[in-house]
Amino acid sequence: MAEKRDMVQIDSLEKYFGEDKERVHVLKGVSLNIPEGSLYTFLGPSGCGKTTTLRCVAGLERPDGGKINIGSQTVFASGERVYVPTNKRPIGMVFQSYAIWPHMTVAENVAYPLTIQRRPKTEIKQRVSDVLKIVGLDGLEDRPAPKLSGGQQQRVAFARALINEPKVMLLDEPLSNLDAKLRVQMRSEIKALQRRTNITTIFVTHDQAEALAISDQIAVMHGGKLIEIGSPHQLYSRPKRRFTATFLGLTNLIAGKVLEVDGDSRPGKMQTKKGILSFIPAPGLKKDQAAVISIRPENIPVHKEKPRSLDNVVEGTVKEAIFMGDAYHCKIAVGDDVLAVHTHPFHSISPGEKVYLHLDPKSCNGLPADDTEGIDESMLGD
Amino acid sequence: MRRLNSQTLILIGATLFVLYLAGVPLLMLLYGSIRSAPIGEPGATYTIQNYVKAYFDKEFYFLFLNSVYYALGTCVVTFLIGTFLAWVSERTNTPFKKLFVVMALIPFIIPGILSTISWILLLSPKIGLINLVIKNLLGLESAPFNIYTMWGMIWAESIHLYPLVFLLMSAAFRNMDTSLEEAALTAGSSTFTTFTRVTLPLMRPAMFSVLLVIFIRGIEAFEVPALIGVPAKISVFTTKIFLAIHQFPSDFGLAGAYAVTLLAISTTGVLIYGRITRREERYATVTGKGYRPRVIDLGGWKYVTCAIAFLIFLLAVIFPAFILLWSSFIPYYGVPSLELMGKMTWANFHYILNYPLALTAFKNSFYLSVGSATLVMLLTSIIAWITVKTKLPGRALLDNMTFIPIAMPGIVLGVSLIWVYLTLPIPIYGTIWVLLLAYITKFMPYGIRAASASMIQINKELEEASFTAGGTWFQTFRKVILPLLMPGFTAGWIYISIIALRELSTSILLYSYNSTVLSIMAFDLWEGGQYTYVCALGVLMVLLLLVMAFTARKLGAKIGIAE
Repeated sequence: MAEKRDMVQIDSLEKYFGEDKERVHVLKGVSLNIPEGSLYTFLGPSGCGKTTTLRCVAGLERPDGGKINIGSQTVFASGERVYVPTNKRPIGMVFQSYAIWPHMTVAENVAYPLTIQRRPKTEIKQRVSDVLKIVGLDGLEDRPAPKLSGGQQQRVAFARALINEPKVMLLDEPLSNLDAKLRVQMRSEIKALQRRTNITTIFVTHDQAEALAISDQIAVMHGGKLIEIGSPHQLYSRPKRRFTATFLGLTNLIAGKVLEVDGDSRPGKMQTKKGILSFIPAPGLKKDQAAVISIRPENIPVHKEKPRSLDNVVEGTVKEAIFMGDAYHCKIAVGDDVLAVHTHPFHSISPGEKVYLHLDPKSCNGLPADDTEGIDESMLGD
Repeated sequence: MRRLNSQTLILIGATLFVLYLAGVPLLMLLYGSIRSAPIGEPGATYTIQNYVKAYFDKEFYFLFLNSVYYALGTCVVTFLIGTFLAWVSERTNTPFKKLFVVMALIPFIIPGILSTISWILLLSPKIGLINLVIKNLLGLESAPFNIYTMWGMIWAESIHLYPLVFLLMSAAFRNMDTSLEEAALTAGSSTFTTFTRVTLPLMRPAMFSVLLVIFIRGIEAFEVPALIGVPAKISVFTTKIFLAIHQFPSDFGLAGAYAVTLLAISTTGVLIYGRITRREERYATVTGKGYRPRVIDLGGWKYVTCAIAFLIFLLAVIFPAFILLWSSFIPYYGVPSLELMGKMTWANFHYILNYPLALTAFKNSFYLSVGSATLVMLLTSIIAWITVKTKLPGRALLDNMTFIPIAMPGIVLGVSLIWVYLTLPIPIYGTIWVLLLAYITKFMPYGIRAASASMIQINKELEEASFTAGGTWFQTFRKVILPLLMPGFTAGWIYISIIALRELSTSILLYSYNSTVLSIMAFDLWEGGQYTYVCALGVLMVLLLLVMAFTARKLGAKIGIAE
């Protein structure tokens, strides 16, 4: 991919909520750059600061420190006392509740950004009908807003955010109020819409599956800090942080201590309760460091007989095997630990069986065990 | 949250205006009560003579006892009537209970001065209709009832105030978690024990706060004490203040001393009320769900409760309405008879409509009512936005300031404003503008209540969506917040325009010939003994009120969300 200009630059953003004793530090120096034309996701559990970061970009929250640029314009800089109010920023936003004004029709809602600029009526009419066509609501111009379904309300919210051709679209958990089926449909529509319009889009969600499906880039956040940034593929298959590995999808963690490591391209060795295991180390992992191996359930081949000439084989007993149609979801006891393993549905497997698990070194990600940096225990609760 | 200059300007302006309206009269009242002569007169000094004169007069203690007696009596009577009707319509299977809700609220629309007059016309020992009928029927020597007594006054006041008890108690009955009662029943207690051990204790905070509201309203009542109490020589604080100013020469200092005393009493009441309701709200969050009230099957007793309810309506609604209507159509005051019926005429209405001052009064009342209702709702909408939607420091104080005038009895506000506009170099004393300011001050608390309640229900994202769409604060307020606020705005507007149209106790100290309003005109006509004209005027006032309420509702629905 050719190198692109950054549309949004966020630099060491700080934000506190509340006053005095109840002051909570919600953003702790968040810095990230969002390339032009990309669909960029802030992902994390609730309370991680993702929505606050988005609202700072929108200007709905005023950060306590840091700097934000949109395009070439600085919209917030604590040092230089720059603060561009929300209504002067080149943005469009879709809210979690959609925030469709119930006292207006579809057309009035969508036209709002233009009517308050007192654009000519004919231009407004033309652009409303154009943008409604884009979101697939043409013909519903005169429908009162309260008479719309959830999916339609969301399309109206998109149309309203799009109509003024913003530089950045901000989507605050826009799918969380839809039922499961519609959610999947709308997420591919959002992606298609973003591709078509090529507007830089920030998408906030706590749903990792949604984030994986939709994003060009994901910024994983936790406890007010940025944990890791990467493409969905990178984050899922080669996470660099323990939090990323556990938050995105299911994974098994095997604790141990690094015995041998040589850069991050060559396998290292780790002492674990299951013996010495090979793994692909995360950058910066050092010898003697406490670490974990993360391996996904679908990446563990099961053998009924002990395979020869393979590294990283452990012996286990099947505790539970649930047939899911597309796979068996097994719980396999290995020593004191229980590993989750997904096996192919063709190979039947039943509880009590003794099996051998191949923990392929290529699928074993060695990560620092101590991941508390960036995780404030007090914020894990909510 | 300071975003824009226009926003900051509006917010600061609204805040200063509220501080001026609520704070200045209070300060001037305290100041005036310690001056030896009216402001502006040369040689005035600081003095405590006004208080000495007030408190060392033995009449003061009669005054105090009378006022308290009157307020407590009103509490008892309104509480019995209002609670009974609320219970019947919320918790029993009494027939026609839906109808009761409508009828219980009718007295709301009748101005206090008219309902007082109607009770004089019904219960006066000389001309009272009920007295005359009973005397004729039973062949009595003297009239069985006399309105010109303490209990006569309490009765007239209670009929005017019980709808308030009805509303508050209905809400209390509705919000009560009946599963608490059911738990008692399943635990083996009888219906009666359940009532005394569970229902009553649960209702106690609500009942106490209702009684307190009525007590405050009773203490600051003016119409009944002025029209009945003055001729009966039963003085309370409000009439004493009125007379101190209306005597010649006026004793402003004495009026001020009494006004401060009255203000202290009502403020205490309001403060206690505030504490109770705050605690109640805390309880309410625990059990704040919409319960389906358990309806008690009264069996045969339901006909008894129904009959009592109808009797109450006969007394509270039918009789007063009838006497007003009847008197407005007859050429001279008299008991209904076939002879008088033959003489029914529109002459009273003709007279009123051609009365030189009437047009002025109608215009003034209309402008004041529409103007104060609109301005109060606009002002309090802005204040409510500050107190509900922002985190600005001092917003709680602003909320309290807006609420202060609720503790100011109308007559006290009148005295305070006399002081303010005789002192400050703002030349509006004696004009309609001083009445407008008085009304805005007086009705601000009702406005803030309606506006805050609706403001809380508006999702913050609805206004944020406007900011992100490029709207300024002013555009957002006008195009998004105000329309969404419309249901509460309209409700508050209707209520304020109704109470503004019948306002008497403040206006009576502040009006001049050119700023006469309808209630003052009714008061003057009554004082002049022109009963039939007053009644015709009253009928016109009620009609005007109905038209205004109806129009406001229609308009509100058009601007806001059509439901």
